[in-house]
Amino acid sequence: MDALTFDNFGFTYPKMPHSVLDHIGWHIPEGSFALLGGATGIGKTTLLRCAHPILAPSGTMAGHIKVFGEDIASPDQKWDAHRCAQTIAYVSQSPETQIVCDTVWHELAFGLENLGIPQEAIRRRVAEIAHFFGIESWFHRTTDELSGGQKQLLNLASVLVMQPRILVLDEPTAQLDPVASKNFLHALFRINRELGIVVVVATHEPYEMRAYATDEYVLQPSGIERVEIHRQVDSQFAPVAYASTNPHVHPLTGHSTAHPDASSFSTDRSNLTEEHADSSASASPLSATSSSKTNTLSCKNVWFRYDRSLPWVLKGFDLSIEQGTCHAIVGGNGCGKSTLLQLFAGTLKSERGHVCNAAHDCQAFLPQNPKTLFLSDTVSEELHAWQKDAGYSDDDVEQWMQRLAIQDIKDQHPYDTSGGQQQKIALAKLLLTQPSLLLLDEPTKGLDAPTRRQLAQVLTTCRNNGMTIVLATHDLAFAELIATQVTMVFDGEATATEPPATFFADSIFFRPSAAEREALNGCK
Amino acid sequence: MNNSGTTIFDSWHPFVPLAFFASVIVLSMAVFQPVFIAISFIGALASSIAIRGWKTTVKSLRWQLPLIVLIVLFNPLFSSLGSTVLFTVGPFTMYAESLVYGICMGVMLVSMLLWFVTASSVLSSSKVMALFGKRIPVLSLMMSMIARLTPLYVRRGREISTVDSACTASGRKKASVVAQAAKRSTVLMSWSMEDSLETSDAMRARGFGASHTRTSYARYRFRLRDGIVSVVLLVLVVCCAFLAWTAASQYRFYPTMPMLRIWWGYIPYIVLVLIPTFLSIKEGIRWMR
Repeated sequence: MDALTFDNFGFTYPKMPHSVLDHIGWHIPEGSFALLGGATGIGKTTLLRCAHPILAPSGTMAGHIKVFGEDIASPDQKWDAHRCAQTIAYVSQSPETQIVCDTVWHELAFGLENLGIPQEAIRRRVAEIAHFFGIESWFHRTTDELSGGQKQLLNLASVLVMQPRILVLDEPTAQLDPVASKNFLHALFRINRELGIVVVVATHEPYEMRAYATDEYVLQPSGIERVEIHRQVDSQFAPVAYASTNPHVHPLTGHSTAHPDASSFSTDRSNLTEEHADSSASASPLSATSSSKTNTLSCKNVWFRYDRSLPWVLKGFDLSIEQGTCHAIVGGNGCGKSTLLQLFAGTLKSERGHVCNAAHDCQAFLPQNPKTLFLSDTVSEELHAWQKDAGYSDDDVEQWMQRLAIQDIKDQHPYDTSGGQQQKIALAKLLLTQPSLLLLDEPTKGLDAPTRRQLAQVLTTCRNNGMTIVLATHDLAFAELIATQVTMVFDGEATATEPPATFFADSIFFRPSAAEREALNGCK
Repeated sequence: MNNSGTTIFDSWHPFVPLAFFASVIVLSMAVFQPVFIAISFIGALASSIAIRGWKTTVKSLRWQLPLIVLIVLFNPLFSSLGSTVLFTVGPFTMYAESLVYGICMGVMLVSMLLWFVTASSVLSSSKVMALFGKRIPVLSLMMSMIARLTPLYVRRGREISTVDSACTASGRKKASVVAQAAKRSTVLMSWSMEDSLETSDAMRARGFGASHTRTSYARYRFRLRDGIVSVVLLVLVVCCAFLAWTAASQYRFYPTMPMLRIWWGYIPYIVLVLIPTFLSIKEGIRWMR
């Protein structure tokens, strides 16, 4: 029997002229681990939420959705919360917002408490699930102090404690770093194979997940299509296909993704790398040829810790960053990348050593979460927010909206736009102020390959115009594409600083996977 | 002393420390008699050292002792009562009775503070919730959610101000503190409201509001041992309360203070306030080898 069936399904949001989804025929058999791909904004989230009787958005539905053969919309079937929780579970993208309680144990018990399960039974099930996920060691911790990966694992555990038969996840690893995301996928794999729970994952980064999945589907405007799982990049919806044919047109929507005057900047991979070679050649023998260039940022023997009782984050950190370069800072989780950016920005002060920032009065900082920057009701207002003080014109705003392809959403509320769009709005807001130093903290978190590529283009153009860019990132493929220098931070020190070509050639483990690289760069 | 987050009360049901601290706090608040106040203060100090450790206690005394001095100095200014004149400064006359009264008041206030801080380090929010959760599950959930959201919002608030002050290229003149705070809190509010929609989805999907009776997962069991200790504690507290009432009703500060004598009736109260210290010493001896 099929676990989940969409039968000629369609969905229209209220007051919208067109349907989001149409003629969806999708059968997910029992025991499967299904991936759902598709371009951003195509309706993956809507589709998955519709399958959850409680989370289904309001709107008009056509056709049927059946869960283990039972229609979820039929009036005679009572889909109360009890039954629903024990049939289908949903985990969304943000690890933070799904957590309700202050401690791990209470979070695990929350769902069972809601259903009025007797205490002894709660104890038993919480114990089992904590054991399954290896949560014992942090069972008594407060939820706020957990890492992102632990938070997402906790979200998974606290829906599984209700013993659902289907698990639906919407971009579950988008906010996680590579190590945490692998860990999470492994947990999903065990749930699927050991417990026999059906797993359905919507994702725009299927590369890492293919090793675990049994089926892969792509949502397209025409409907759902099944694709063969290849270990290599799938030409169906990876940006590869369009990058090779027409670099400026999106394969699925047909929209132009490049800004009008992008012609000066080639999107072709070979050109990008050639240009890399040039810049890195001039920059690599730092002592010899670069004497003409000035340092925007330099720090010498910088020591930093957050509290006297806490361990040092940076221990004698040395680094200098030349004007007009793009410097990527990479390293494991909690190695101090974000701390370093804040020291550069001057919002944290080093305990010992000095940070010299020549661009201190003309810098911009893009935080991990773009919502930190939003305070207006529309995108357009948001971009005009600093106009008076920073002195840019209306034309500048128009131009940047076009460059970043956000002019279509200019009347929307920033919160109503997708994650990728929010990132672009925030970036546009910062770039409008024409900073000479741009600090970026995980700029590609949760973005799909076309958006990342677009960001790479924009940032490289900015750098060519003399802007200094420093980014802290886990996204090695992105770093390889745009950086002129890469620094690895380990144990509070700058362990290696090299041009990306040398850096990644020398790395054994610390390099983008072939699949990621291809997805971002296009065809070889 | 206590970095691991464990306390000597861990092996008891939370009701026992709650009953202990509640009775000690009520007694020290109600009994205004120098000896009882002194005993309570010594007990509070000893318990704080036993439970929170030397360093933390000394650190908190750094501002608590000046507080006592402040109250001692202020009381005679407002209540110029008594019969034994110590000295006169301008229009103010300092009486011995008034001074002693001030000292008692200051010491009582500080010992109350010490008891409260010590109690809160023993009774974590999860323990309090376990106590009240069964009776009022909604309240305990609410407390848990507040405990969850507070650090989250504080962290976000910090993030917002960091980013705001890091973006110097936006060329803003230094805005007034109030305007800046208003702007930052607007950002925080809309961000949090937006996120709360997602949280409420996560709650509904996990059956929130589905059942009329919420149960509560309690991690603590009330055992016979807890029962016996509670009864013994209750007897001791009643005994202390009676003796304290006797002592306090015979004592007065104004116009003259009676002489204080050595009295057996202080012993139960000494025993009561030193319970955490005894337990801690017992534990210390056990782990000495």
